[in-house]
Amino acid sequence: MQRAAERRGIATVSPSVARDVTEHAKPPRAVFLPFMMGHLFGVPFHTELQRHILMEMISLLETAEESGTIRDLDLSWAKARKEGKEIERRASQ
Amino acid sequence: MTDMSKPSAASSEKQLRPGLWATVNERYPGSMIHKDDVVPLAQLKKPISECRVAFLSTSGVQPKGTLPFDTVHPVGDYSFRRVPSDADVDDLEIHQLKYPTFGADRDLNVIFPIERLRELRDEGVIGELNANHYTFIGYNMDPVELELTLAEQVAEALAHDEVDVALAAPA
Repeated sequence: MQRAAERRGIATVSPSVARDVTEHAKPPRAVFLPFMMGHLFGVPFHTELQRHILMEMISLLETAEESGTIRDLDLSWAKARKEGKEIERRASQ
Repeated sequence: MTDMSKPSAASSEKQLRPGLWATVNERYPGSMIHKDDVVPLAQLKKPISECRVAFLSTSGVQPKGTLPFDTVHPVGDYSFRRVPSDADVDDLEIHQLKYPTFGADRDLNVIFPIERLRELRDEGVIGELNANHYTFIGYNMDPVELELTLAEQVAEALAHDEVDVALAAPA
């Protein structure tokens, strides 16, 4: 789908939690994050992380020079979950 | 000859669920997309802060009351839904079986960051949001059929909407 959009002059970028699938599909631009499927933008109520991932995608749109670029983001699922739990703990107080 | 059924070393080390492509393709041969080439990059014609942005998603998120995606069809559902970019998250629901939704069930932004996108629009990071985002389901067993039908239809809709940038998220 990304290819069909790019052929029409529409720039695309994708998040991925399955780097091997992305390597096979070769979308024009992708950011990889080692998160669980269904959690491309992190964990519930962690708005800062959700925003960060969107900003990384936008950044790649502006900087990618070659089609097929996959940028590995320095993120951790365990850290994201820990931060998410802390955010919810604070909100419940 | 390179064995494309095996993920790269980088994938094995970093991916939370390793070997996904090979696992699914072994169980359902031919169901997983593979490309040997890349498509030339479309160049941004203006700054992101002036671009019209749409979000594309295999999440199966759709407005309540619209025809649910056929999540149990043996070869998949190649239709799409329009999700108004100003929709309230409480007016949306998920019809999809193939990914864990325990996070999205509590905060839809985990898979469909519609509220974060509005914030980025309000802050001027992105120029504007397209009137609609586009959604479909990822469970489609024929990647060629998907490429010839659904992908072309959504891309055509984006072009009709004069979208500059599409954020395309597989769930």
